Amino acid sequence: MALINVAAREIHCKIVYYGPGMSGKTSNLQYIHSQVPKEAKGELLSIATETERTLFFDFLPLDLGKVRGFQTRFHLYTVPGQVLYERTRVAVLSGADGVVFVADSQKHKLEENIRSLRELAINITRQNKRFQDFPIVLQYNKRDVPGALPVATLDKYLNTLGWQRFEATATIGAGVFDTLKAISKLVISKL
Amino acid sequence: MDPQLTSQIVPAEEIKVIEECLVRLAEDTGGNYVLLLDKSGQVITAQGDAARQDITALGALIAGTFASSREVAKLLREKDFRQLFTQGVRENIFISLIEDQWILCIIFNKGTHIGLVKVLTKKATDDLSVVLERVREHQKARDDVLGSSFRTSMEDTIDLLFRD
Repeated sequence: MALINVAAREIHCKIVYYGPGMSGKTSNLQYIHSQVPKEAKGELLSIATETERTLFFDFLPLDLGKVRGFQTRFHLYTVPGQVLYERTRVAVLSGADGVVFVADSQKHKLEENIRSLRELAINITRQNKRFQDFPIVLQYNKRDVPGALPVATLDKYLNTLGWQRFEATATIGAGVFDTLKAISKLVISKL
Repeated sequence: MDPQLTSQIVPAEEIKVIEECLVRLAEDTGGNYVLLLDKSGQVITAQGDAARQDITALGALIAGTFASSREVAKLLREKDFRQLFTQGVRENIFISLIEDQWILCIIFNKGTHIGLVKVLTKKATDDLSVVLERVREHQKARDDVLGSSFRTSMEDTIDLLFRD
C-alpha cells in the first residue's frame, strides 16, 4: 500500500521484482542503479550469499524529486528466486504496490517461470488482493540467449491476463527502463 | 476498487500526534532513535538524537525482518510475533507491531533498561493504534490531496528520469 505523508509532503511506493532463480531480477536493479543520476538514487543494498545469490532481498530507493509539491519515492525490491526461499518471497512481497515478473526466456526455464507465476498469484491472493487487478508488468529477459523461446510462446503460457510485457536483456540494460517506466506508471495510476 | 490497493494517506494533523508520541517515548525511555514504519518498510516518521543518513535502508531491513518473523510464526502455528528484540554490543533494537499495518521501532543503548522500553512501548503502541484507526476511517480522496493533474506530471517525471 502506497504511503502518502501529507505533513512531509511525501509519497512512497513499493515495487517488487519477482521471478524464478537466475532470471535476472538483481541484474535489473544493478542496471537501474548504474544509470539513474546520483541525486535520484540511494545505495543498492543486497543481502546475498557468498556466491552472490540473493538470500533475502535487494533494495534500491529511487527519489523522483518533487512532483506537484510531493517528494516522490519508489522503493525497488527483488525477491530471492530459488524454490527454497518461498516464505522469504512472501515476506518481501508484503505491502507491495506493484510487481515486475522477470521471466527467463530460455526453453528449459519455461516450467520454472510458470511455477513461479502461479506462486505469485497465490501469494498476492493471500494478501487479500485480487490478482487480476494487481499492477503487474511482465519482462521476458535473456532475449540474447541462443534458442530463446519465441515471444508468442511465452505469451501463451505466461501472459494469459494480457499484462504489458517487454523483451529485455537486463545485463546490458535492454528493456530495463521500459519495464520500470511501465510499472511505475501503473502503480501511480492506482494510487 | 479493492481497498487493499489504495494508498494510505496520513494527514498532517495525525503526523503531529504521531511525532509527539515518538518524542515522548524517546524522552521517557532515554532511547536514541524512534521510528514508525509502514509494514512495507516505508518510514512514516522518525525522531531521534541525530540525523541518520541510512534511515531508508533501516526501514526496509526492519520491515523485512518483521515480515520474515511473521512467516516463522506461521510455520510454528503462532498467530504472529508482536515484538522483536535485537541485542547489540552498543545499541539494542526493540520492535513492536501496531495492528497489522505499522511497526514501531526504538533504538536504545545500555543506559536504558529493556523492561522500561517494553512497558512504555506498549503504551505508545496503544496510543498509535488509535491514530491508525482514525487514519483508516478518514481516508480522503486522492485528488483532494494530490490534485487532479498529479498523474500527468508524474508520468512526465518518470519519462524524464527513467532512461538509459
